[in-house]
Amino acid sequence: MNSPAKPILEVNSVSKAFGGVEALRDGSLKLSPGEVLAIVGANGAGKSTLIKIIAGVLTPDRGDISIKGKSIARQDHTVGFIRQMGVEVVYQDLAIVPNMTAPYNLFLGRVPRKFGIFVDEKKMQEKTREVLAELKVETVQSLKRPISEMSGGQQQSIAIGRAIAWGKEIVILDEPTAALGPNETQQVERVINEIRKRNTATILISHNLDQVFRLADRLVVVHQGNTSKEFMRNEVTIDELVKAITTG
Amino acid sequence: MASDVEKKTMLPNMENRTLMARLGLPNWDSPEGRVWVNRLRDNVPFIAITLVILLFWFISGDRFMSVRNWTFIAQQTPVLLLLAFAQLLVVTTGSIDISVGSNLGFSAYMAALGMLWFGELGFIVGIFAAMLIGVLNGAIFSLFKISSFVTTLAMLIIVRAVLVIVSDGRSIYVSDQPMSNSNITSIEAKWLLDLGQFPQILYFTVLVAVLLWIVYEKTVFGQQLKALGGNEKVLRLTGISVNWFKIQVFAAAGFMVGLASFINLARSGAATVQAGEMLELDAIAAVALGGTVLTGGYGSVLKTVVGALTLTIVANGLTIAGVPPSWSRIARGLLLIIAIAISLNRKQIDVVK
Ligand SMILES: Nc1ncnc2c1ncn2[C@@H]1O[C@H](COP(=O)(O)OP(=O)(O)OP(=O)(O)O)[C@@H](O)[C@H]1O
Ligand SMILES: [Mg+2]
Repeated sequence: MNSPAKPILEVNSVSKAFGGVEALRDGSLKLSPGEVLAIVGANGAGKSTLIKIIAGVLTPDRGDISIKGKSIARQDHTVGFIRQMGVEVVYQDLAIVPNMTAPYNLFLGRVPRKFGIFVDEKKMQEKTREVLAELKVETVQSLKRPISEMSGGQQQSIAIGRAIAWGKEIVILDEPTAALGPNETQQVERVINEIRKRNTATILISHNLDQVFRLADRLVVVHQGNTSKEFMRNEVTIDELVKAITTG
Repeated sequence: MASDVEKKTMLPNMENRTLMARLGLPNWDSPEGRVWVNRLRDNVPFIAITLVILLFWFISGDRFMSVRNWTFIAQQTPVLLLLAFAQLLVVTTGSIDISVGSNLGFSAYMAALGMLWFGELGFIVGIFAAMLIGVLNGAIFSLFKISSFVTTLAMLIIVRAVLVIVSDGRSIYVSDQPMSNSNITSIEAKWLLDLGQFPQILYFTVLVAVLLWIVYEKTVFGQQLKALGGNEKVLRLTGISVNWFKIQVFAAAGFMVGLASFINLARSGAATVQAGEMLELDAIAAVALGGTVLTGGYGSVLKTVVGALTLTIVANGLTIAGVPPSWSRIARGLLLIIAIAISLNRKQIDVVK
C-alpha cells in the first residue's frame, strides 16, 4: 500500500565517521507521503546520526539523499536548504531555547519581521495560539514568559508544533516522548496521528516499542551503523523486532 | 495583647516555624514565596541604587544631594554607561569582552587622529576603528573557537600596545581655540568640548540609551542576542549562522565602544595612552550591578543604566565622604559581590567555573 507511491525521501547508503568512530556505516531508507516510519535501534546504533544527515546538520562521508525525487547536491546539503524543502526536525534533548517565549520557539529561525528589523510580536502570538489550539494544548502561562516556565509536555508540544507548522513534506521526531509523562505522551501521540492525516510523512525515533507499534506503518532497524532490517508493522511481532534490534 | 503573644511563643513546635513565618511572611520556598523572591530579585538594582543614595545623603547631606554634585554625576556616568552597553550586548549572548577599555583608548586616539587629518567629521575614523576591533574579536572568537575571555584578553593587551606605538606616547588635545604652542598636538573643536558638558552629554547618552533599548527589546537582532545566550546548539541546528551573528554582536559592541571613546574625548579633552585603562572592569561591574546574569540569556538596558549610575554614585559618595581611593575601590568590589549574590538564582546554576 505504501511502497508503490513515489517516495518523498530516499536515503542511499549514507555513512558518517567521527574521527575513528563509524557512527553510521550504511544508512538507506525510503519514505512515502503520509507514512509514519519508525526508526528503532539500540543506544548508539546511529539513529540520530542518520536523521541529522537527512536534516542537513551533518554531510555524509559517502552516499546521498534525495527529496521529492531531487538529489540534494553536496553544496545544497545545509539545514537552511533542507528546511526550505519542507523538512523539519525535533531533536532529542535539543528542541527549545529555554529563556525565550513559546512564540519565539515556535518561529525559531523564521521570526516574522516588521520593517525589516523589528519582531512582529502580534503575528507570532496569534500563530502560537492557533497552533496550540490545533494541537489541543491548553496553557495558562502568559505567552510572554520564558518557555522554561511551561511543563515538559507543553514545551515539547511547541517544538512539535514548530515542526508541523513548517514541515509540509516530512516531520522528523527524535525520541519526542522520552522525557514525558503518560498524559503528555498520549497528547504527543495524538499529534502524530494528526500529521498523518495531512499526508505529511513522519519519521519517528523511539525506544518505546509499544508506542512504535501504536503509531508506525513501517519500521526500520538500525544496528551498529547499518539499516539492517525493515518490517511492515502488521508483519512483525515484538519479539522478532527485539531480536532484530539486539542482533541485527 | 501581651498574653496573646505569649501564647504564640509557647506553641509546641515553635522550632519548626521558619523566620519568615514568624514575621508573618510567606515561606520563601512556597509558590507564593517564590513569586516574592523573584520579584525582589528582579528589583535588586533599583533597591540598591535607592539605598546607596539614601546612605550618602545621610552621611554627607547637602554636599551629596546638591544640584552641583548631581550635575557632576551626570557628566561622570556616560562614558562608563556606554562601555557597559557594549558589554551588555556581549554578555547577553553568554560571552564577555574585556578589551573594551583598551579599545576605548585606541579608538579615542584614532578619532583624534582622524580629526587632525580630515577635519571635524574625522572623528568617524574612531568609530570605525572601534568596530574593527570588535569584528576582529568576534571573528577570532567564533571562527577559531577560542573563548571570548581569552580572545578579548589578548586583544586588551595588543590594542593597548598598538596605541602606544601609534601615539608614540604622546597625547592629542582638544581645544576651543587655535593653539600657538607647536610642541603639543591639538585639534580645535569647541563643539566637541561642549558635547562633553552637561546637559549636552546627558541628551546624547539618553538618546543612545533609548535607541539601544529599542534594538534590545524590539528587533530580531536583540531577540537573537538572548536566544544565543539561552541555547546556542539549538540555534545552530535550526540553521541560523551563529558565527556570523557573533561577529555582528562584537561589531555592535565595538560601535558602542566607539561612541564611548568619542564621549570620553569630549569629556577629557584629550586622547591619551592611558585612556580607558581598567575601565573594562567597571563596565562589567555596571552590567552585573544591573542584574544581568553573566551566563547570558537575559539582560536589561534600563537596569544597566541603573547599574552604571550606582557604581558612579558610590565612587562619588565615598569621595565626598572623604574615604581614600583604595578603600573606595574595596567598597565597590564588595558591593559588586553582594549585588551578584542577591540577583543570582542559584537554583538554575549547576556548575560554577
Ligand atoms: N559528534 C559526535 N562526535 C563523536 N562521536 C559521535 C558524535 N555523534 C555521535 N557519535 C557516536 O556515534 C554513534 C552513534 O550515535 P547516535 O547519536 O547516532 O546514536 P543513537 O542511535 O541516536 O543513540 P541513542 O538511542 O542513544 O540516542 C555513538 O557511538 C556516538 O557516540
Ligand atoms: Mg539518538
